[in-house]
Amino acid sequence: MTCDEVRELLPEHLLGTLEGPEDLEVRRHLRGCSACREERMKLEEGVAALSLVVHDQEPPADLRDRVLRTLDEEWEDAGRPPASKQRGRDRSPWRAVAAAAAIVLIAGSVAFGTTQAHRASVATADAASYTNLLRALGGKEFSVGQLHAAGGSSFVGQVLVYEGDASKGWNSWATVFVKAPGYMGDATATLIGTDGEALALPSLRVSGGEAHSWIVTGDDLSGYDRLTITTPDGNVVATGAIHPA
Amino acid sequence: MLRVKIEDPGSDAALMVAFAAREERAAGTLFERFASRIYGLGVVMLGNHQAAQDLVQDTFVKLWRTAERYDPQRGRLETWVLLTARSLAIDSLRRRVLESRSLQAVGIQPEDDPAPLPDERAAAADLSARARRAMACLSPEQRSALELAYFGGRTTAEVAALEGIPQGTVKTRIRAALLRLRDEMAKDADHDV
Repeated sequence: MTCDEVRELLPEHLLGTLEGPEDLEVRRHLRGCSACREERMKLEEGVAALSLVVHDQEPPADLRDRVLRTLDEEWEDAGRPPASKQRGRDRSPWRAVAAAAAIVLIAGSVAFGTTQAHRASVATADAASYTNLLRALGGKEFSVGQLHAAGGSSFVGQVLVYEGDASKGWNSWATVFVKAPGYMGDATATLIGTDGEALALPSLRVSGGEAHSWIVTGDDLSGYDRLTITTPDGNVVATGAIHPA
Repeated sequence: MLRVKIEDPGSDAALMVAFAAREERAAGTLFERFASRIYGLGVVMLGNHQAAQDLVQDTFVKLWRTAERYDPQRGRLETWVLLTARSLAIDSLRRRVLESRSLQAVGIQPEDDPAPLPDERAAAADLSARARRAMACLSPEQRSALELAYFGGRTTAEVAALEGIPQGTVKTRIRAALLRLRDEMAKDADHDV
């Protein structure tokens, strides 16, 4: 197909009304022709302009919740706990705030790229303080892990897991910090359980070579003993074992 | 003044990967970016707010079910989302026509669509006014071809038959209309600088 033939078909291709074999030919041509791809881009901008000007209207305020609830149901039916439930069932707002504050306090003591002797928990050098901290937080145990680069990546980091005492109504939480010099974009940190179960944390958005992510949940995190970091294309860029602090 | 924002295709790809991985934050981002246009499309094409809300819900479910098929090399995320919504709206319109014909075939008068509420009529009128203003930069022929193809879901062959003109002419008019809209918006953006 020539460029002229393709450009004549581009509007239909864009609007999805082109039949199978012709559409395939157009797509094949576009893969190898930057000029026609640029033409398509301009037409796409025309569609975007049309949509913004002609039919951009604020939906009702409750529509967002309705759509996200529907997606939650869809995800549940698809066989895995939906992301919104993975973020925990806070039984009490102030406990979630306290847990988050504890994350900030303890995370403030974490130094990146230091020796393995530097533990993620600030109280490990002082057993009494550690016990007091756990008692204050109502928790059972801290676990920590050092993340090591994999596959030639620049990713390193640390993971800290706090196991709350569910009998007292406390959530558990996990937080991960990474340094990835030279990398820009997203990555996913996933806790891996001894039984192979996986729990993904919210996206790591690496900017300026650093990123962090955390999760607060009512679920038991004690069964997770590894954490991996993967990029959107599925490559594992860091991994680490998690062990009690 | 209106600008057509070009999103980073790399970040759109990552967004869809996160959405496919069932990240609620990604779902929220997609909603914030596209819900208003899908909803507005529903109001224009389907004629009432309830149907427009249903369209938003149906579109997001379909986007998730087909998320892994999104390929940034084949086009912008914006286009993919809008045309998914448009396709569902066209299906909905066709179902209404079929249901109406089926009922009439057995002698049953189809129920009228619920009468739009006053605010719905006002909103639809506002959208119509905006449509007319945007389309005012196009020639009547370009406007007609684009409306039939974009909002009516007609193929160029169908538009040609409806308008009594060659199919090639329809294709040229639609292409020219989209490029003209793009150029008009770009001109507005330049004036803002």
